Amino acid sequence: MSSAKSSPPPEQGSFIWTRRLILFAFWGVVVVLGLPHWLWTTSIHRSQLPLESMNNWADGKVCRLQYPIHVKLRYEDAGFDETNALAAETQHVLNALNQLPLYQFHITGDLANASSEQALLPSHVRDTLASRENSLIVNIQNDKKIKTPQAALKSLIPVLDVRHNPARTGDSLTAFLAREISKVFSHEQNYMHHLLQETPFESKEYVNRFSPEVKAGLDARTTRAFKYASTYHLTFSLFVASSSPSAWNIQQALEDGIYPLIERLSPVNRFTIDTQIQLYASFSPSIAGPQYNPITREWQLQRPDLSGFINAAEWPLSPSIGSGPTINFVLYVPSKHQSPLVLAETGGQSWIVPQWGGVQIFNPADKQVDQLTAEDLRPAMLTFADQLSTLVGLPPSPSSLSLRISGLTRERTTSLILSASSTLGALSRLTLKLTSIAIPDSVAKSVSETIHRLDQACQHMQDGRYLSALENARTAEEEAEKAFFEPSMVGQVYFPEEHKVAVYVPLLGPMAVPLVLSAIKELKKLRERKVKVA
Amino acid sequence: MRLIHLPSALLALLSLPLLTPATHTSNWAVLVSTSRFWFNYRHLANVLSLYRTVKRLGIPDNQIILMLPDDMACNPRNSFPGSVFNDKSRGLDLYDDKSGALGGDDNLDMGGIEVDYRGNEVTVENFIRLLTDRWPASHPHSKRLMTGPQSNILIYMTGHGGNEFLKFQDSEEISSFDLADAFEQMYEKKRYHEMLFMIDTCQANTMYSAFYSPGIIATGSSAKDQSSYSHHADQDVGVAVIDRWTYFYLEFLESRLNSTSSDVRLGELFDYQTFDRVHSDAGVRYDLIAGGEHAARDKRVLDFFGNVQGVEIEPGLRAAPEDWKKDLEALQKILESTQEKLDVLSGVDDAAASLHAKGAEATAATASNGQAVSRTALDMAHQGDKWLKKVAGAASLLVLSGVWLASSAWTKRAASA
Repeated sequence: MSSAKSSPPPEQGSFIWTRRLILFAFWGVVVVLGLPHWLWTTSIHRSQLPLESMNNWADGKVCRLQYPIHVKLRYEDAGFDETNALAAETQHVLNALNQLPLYQFHITGDLANASSEQALLPSHVRDTLASRENSLIVNIQNDKKIKTPQAALKSLIPVLDVRHNPARTGDSLTAFLAREISKVFSHEQNYMHHLLQETPFESKEYVNRFSPEVKAGLDARTTRAFKYASTYHLTFSLFVASSSPSAWNIQQALEDGIYPLIERLSPVNRFTIDTQIQLYASFSPSIAGPQYNPITREWQLQRPDLSGFINAAEWPLSPSIGSGPTINFVLYVPSKHQSPLVLAETGGQSWIVPQWGGVQIFNPADKQVDQLTAEDLRPAMLTFADQLSTLVGLPPSPSSLSLRISGLTRERTTSLILSASSTLGALSRLTLKLTSIAIPDSVAKSVSETIHRLDQACQHMQDGRYLSALENARTAEEEAEKAFFEPSMVGQVYFPEEHKVAVYVPLLGPMAVPLVLSAIKELKKLRERKVKVA
Repeated sequence: MRLIHLPSALLALLSLPLLTPATHTSNWAVLVSTSRFWFNYRHLANVLSLYRTVKRLGIPDNQIILMLPDDMACNPRNSFPGSVFNDKSRGLDLYDDKSGALGGDDNLDMGGIEVDYRGNEVTVENFIRLLTDRWPASHPHSKRLMTGPQSNILIYMTGHGGNEFLKFQDSEEISSFDLADAFEQMYEKKRYHEMLFMIDTCQANTMYSAFYSPGIIATGSSAKDQSSYSHHADQDVGVAVIDRWTYFYLEFLESRLNSTSSDVRLGELFDYQTFDRVHSDAGVRYDLIAGGEHAARDKRVLDFFGNVQGVEIEPGLRAAPEDWKKDLEALQKILESTQEKLDVLSGVDDAAASLHAKGAEATAATASNGQAVSRTALDMAHQGDKWLKKVAGAASLLVLSGVWLASSAWTKRAASA
């Protein structure tokens, strides 16, 4: 081996240029084609979301929740001007009362009183018509026999009948009216405040301090009622411990007891109904079972057993048919040797399982009965109707069903607006937090639809068009849910660095090493030559 | 009207101090085994142990999401077909305890195993979808986690894992960061009230270190760099039958929680997993729950393992017979007069036709019609978009291959020249 290293012959200038050209071409492909291709294929599509208006809704800055209440005053025995004056005065007192800050009262005298085509209609038809435009109608009648004014709500239509003695009352009629009207809305007001509490929509000026009992009551109402859905499925099930009764005239019983209530609730919710019978239904294994009480000669169920009473494993109570939630109503007929079966605590026979349904024990009077007639079922159906009204969230007061339903409309609209806004907020926070999650265009579309519908709902609510506000709020909530639960927004979003190295090194390494090394080599040579020239 | 007093009487009942007020209204359980093949018999037994417990304590099957990649009971190597045991004494058949059906105490019949996701359906994607509820509309309700702000969730996972990951079926893995992000999405959408996260795998405690969403209690079987051991093998089954950590969980739950009225706290449950028993450092993370360690340890085991919910008793005949009857009568009156009312209403509608051109509902109805139309248009546009993408992809491929062909042709010509 000679120590003198033989060197290759010097390169021609054109070779050097060819090599540089080749190198340049390769790098050109990498930079011009490869890099954009890589960026394009690995980029995640994130549509622009209107984050600002989403956050504005979530922070409650856009919509001020205010409920105008239109009240019509009808004073049969007073003149036109007098009625209007009374209306204006009562409105002033009510709005100044500051007990109901969420409500804005508009009280007008009934102009149809004197001459209008409406006056020709019978009075109950007039009431019905007026109730479409007004939240409440107040009928005032003079009664010389009574000392203090009296007020009573009608059960079906939103009419408050007031009787007073004009000889005895001075200006206290106004105060009385204001007090009675505010009484009608006081529960709803409390519930609204409860709903808005700890949400950004809470009004700052008015802090309602509930007594613990009122708060517990409102909490219980929230826990008990189902979440709002446009359709509920009602399942009526007859579970019989033995072989009889094996039939029930449920069609007739439902028509008598349940349909009327459902009909009344139809502007707010839709309902579908199915029924079933199961014989030889046994208790769930996890409960202690009923105990015989020799003093009262009854079988008694203890309270801890009630929560496990439903034998989920064996009783065919399916979770849900279709899209909406199912409200279950269970009528349990104990076997002959365990009858009568009652609850130990109260001696009652029915209880509510919050957000699930109602349960009732039915002890037939005649132990040999094979079929339960509609007449037998009537009390049971009434209890179910009462449970249903509780479970769909109907407010417990005031006593007029119509007012309760319009209250429910307002409450549901409010909670839907709250829910849709909080979903918007959650979505906006998530898109900022999870930067590598894809956001398809459909999400942006749903979001803008949600915001549009929310605006509409808010507007209609401030105009007092509660049904269309509910409709809009419902769509807004559905769209918001659709945007949040967009199926394509799933993926493994987190890739650790080790993973990236493990993917890219075998893929790009063999290609990148010669490219990079030859580029370095060429650059070095270039510098050497420059140094030589210099 | 007496009807008002019925709910207020209810409220009065409710405000009575209950022994342990449960703040949640439903319980859900997600039980996941992530490994298949016969030698992973013990992972299936782990999951079925938990399944048995939650079902025994009253969570209905539609609120239990069970993910099983393999079916050991029907494996041809199983010398006890149709059975899965957690112990070599083989006293307890986890797969389906038929001791009741064979006579004796009929309280033990479980009514079978309802598997929601099996075989190849047990994937990371499906698990994340399950948690975040992002499913196509066609996905059946029974396979979804339909929880709300008042639901307590128990999540149990078992399989082979390592530092900050858990393997799913030997082909993919879920990282603790993915899990933490999924939980965050659940928290943002208020999909749980409280959650108990349990994991039995090697280095299990690393799986919950990345969590950052409130309301989660997390517990794992082993610390970082520790293995999670199996309890023992059954010579006749031929493989290890259960993991230590889950074995002792089951032991505790079987012995201490005999009925839905048992009052056992989470603290006792966690303390049962000592190093002597588990042979690794079982860990618990308390800091995400409101009230910290003390509050978490004081929660009832049944808040997560059982289906304990508040029940509202209506006042019975004995309490106030008069009120009760009057309330019902009032309701009845309402219902009866409704029928008349409806007749009246139909009359009103005729009469009012001239007075009211259209109501709010009519506008709403037309609006929804218009929306339906626009939606179909939207779908078409969406599909068109997909086609565009495909065409663009194909075109770019064509251009690239064209360039390649041209360059090779050019070099050939250059070489021949």
